Amino acid sequence: MPDHEPMVADAVLGELRQPVPVSATFNARVMRAIQELPHRHGRVVPLPTRSSPRRIRIAFGAVAAGVLAMFALPSSPRAHARRVQFVLVAPRARNVKVVGDFNGWDTSHAAFHAKNRGGGVWSVTAPVPVGHHRYAFLVDDTVWVADPMAPRADEDFGTPNSALLVPDQE
Amino acid sequence: MDASSDADIVGRVLDGDVDAFALLVERYRDRCARYAMHMLGNREDAEEVMQDAFVRAYRALGRCEDPERFGAWLFRILVNRCRTAGARRSRRARTFVSDELALMSASQEHPAERTAWREEIQRALAELRPEQREAFLLKNVEGLGYEEMSEMTGVGVSALKMRVMRACDRLRVLLQEANSA
Repeated sequence: MPDHEPMVADAVLGELRQPVPVSATFNARVMRAIQELPHRHGRVVPLPTRSSPRRIRIAFGAVAAGVLAMFALPSSPRAHARRVQFVLVAPRARNVKVVGDFNGWDTSHAAFHAKNRGGGVWSVTAPVPVGHHRYAFLVDDTVWVADPMAPRADEDFGTPNSALLVPDQE
Repeated sequence: MDASSDADIVGRVLDGDVDAFALLVERYRDRCARYAMHMLGNREDAEEVMQDAFVRAYRALGRCEDPERFGAWLFRILVNRCRTAGARRSRRARTFVSDELALMSASQEHPAERTAWREEIQRALAELRPEQREAFLLKNVEGLGYEEMSEMTGVGVSALKMRVMRACDRLRVLLQEANSA
């Protein structure tokens, strides 16, 4: 399969394969950030490898439907992540998806597509890595909905987001 | 340049020689910069994502299953961070800003032409859908095979081939339009 016309592609690829300049301070910045991480006895502090069974309480709201709901969910044994149930009450929605930094803000991740459980309740349970996250609901692929019951994250990209903390330990 | 293998350096870092990680930063910085810059379109975002990728790699170093292939493992982290950053950026107004550092490094013989050509390419890249740009860069610029790309991105080989083909078609059209303008 010809990928491209040589006259265009050769010049383009030649340019794209050229080294890209990096700030002179880049290496130092990276190492400074690393030095500021917590260390123990001079060794890298390993990230947790397994979560113990526990429960996480997280609140999710439904701006679109004007209804709030709170759920408590079992956790997951999946390493470095806990299973979190996302719930939105949106009776008139045709589809609801959860997007956040934990799935690359990618709406195509089927694992984060909520299902209609009846009564306008949409929910999905999915693994979310331990740590701080931003997320939002995307209703009908067009309406960006933050969780009014969760702390609001910075809206530095022009759309409302919520903050989520998935703790490592109870 | 330190001739130690990646596995040796990783071992040193895990044994507490934090500074040894700088060798890995130096070794893989330029390749990461090229991908991140082309993927995100500006140096500030690219360096932010690169730093994030290196720090994440450091923190997760104990989970690098094949330290000899640290570079591939790091690149996978970078690709994922670029996806996250790109998705966020796509929700902002898209602007194209000339990169001053790139301008300074442009050819001294024909700096204006060279810079204009770079900008045309960067504009054309920015016009691609992110998944097409990702596949195009991984295949044609970074030289990865489709199997490795599939493992890295979680996307099937057939879909990746289609993305690369469409990216090439689109780039060809965009650059021809630019040349004839």
